[in-house]
Amino acid sequence: MTLLVSAAATYGLRVVLITLVPAHRLPAVLRRGLAHLAPAALAALVVTALVGHQGATALVVPGPMHLALGVAAVVAWRFRNPALPVLAAVAAMIVVEVLS
Amino acid sequence: MDITLRHTRRADGVTDAVRDLAPVVLGLAPFAMLIGVTAVRSGLGAGTGVLSSALLYGGSGQLTAITLMGSGAGAGAVLAAVTLVNARFLLYAAALEPHFRDQPRWFRWAAAHFVVDPTYAMVTRRRDLEDPARFRRYWLTAGGVLAVAWVAMTAVGGLLAPVLPASSALDVAAPAMFLAMLVPQLRARPAVVGAGTAAVTAALASPLPSGLGLMCGIAVGVVAASVTPVARTSETSGSPS
Repeated sequence: MTLLVSAAATYGLRVVLITLVPAHRLPAVLRRGLAHLAPAALAALVVTALVGHQGATALVVPGPMHLALGVAAVVAWRFRNPALPVLAAVAAMIVVEVLS
Repeated sequence: MDITLRHTRRADGVTDAVRDLAPVVLGLAPFAMLIGVTAVRSGLGAGTGVLSSALLYGGSGQLTAITLMGSGAGAGAVLAAVTLVNARFLLYAAALEPHFRDQPRWFRWAAAHFVVDPTYAMVTRRRDLEDPARFRRYWLTAGGVLAVAWVAMTAVGGLLAPVLPASSALDVAAPAMFLAMLVPQLRARPAVVGAGTAAVTAALASPLPSGLGLMCGIAVGVVAASVTPVARTSETSGSPS
């Protein structure tokens, strides 16, 4: 039941600005901002996964995930295939775990 | 090649969606498996993990729900946390709305379920989806196939959970996937400024309750990008992948 209610709420988030209150009725300044959403959202998702709830200090304290994501960033920059950075990051994490 | 055939292929969103989606599915597989593994190890069972993939269809929200439910949190707490974590879908939907505007009613109501990080990122990388029919084919193929693969890989994770060794290797799959989608977008100055600002803000705000730090990062990043003058660092963004 909890899952069903959460799914309904999530569906509401997805549909409200498409069907109920179409986004083209939003103020122009908000619509202009939406054009810049993707890089901001993706960067925030990466960092949130990296630091958890530990705050900004977790960004500068190196750990296995920092190394793995560093490898992923280099691979993503070099190759445009989205799967390769993931595979490289997982491989890097496994190597670090085996060596430590 | 025959000109009619070339035109048909160009107009066919299905082929493009499959081509764009294949590496994304491969990259997301560890993340989906992690959800199945987490559902089993938190005592909720593989069925709950699979159900969450079908109903919620959003990895970070699913992990939040499963973790909270596994620790015995109440329904209200789970609902609030999942809503906060998934609040970014509201923004994605707003950004995607122009593509949905001239679509049939059934599509606007049903296909909105496929608004999720990878499908949003895939659409933002393409500049050839202005035609409503083409977008509809592209979106239904990408969203539908990704949903089926997502559910299937969650089930695989649930089945393999008892035999998989304890490892944090799967944890890195989701951020690595987001990174893989982010890097190709860092071509214009507003994107770089927006991403950098969002990253720093999300880190600073990360001690806030679940989802709020993420939303703060996104909001501040969008504002920073919006006020940054467009001065290209290289070619303008977005060749179809």
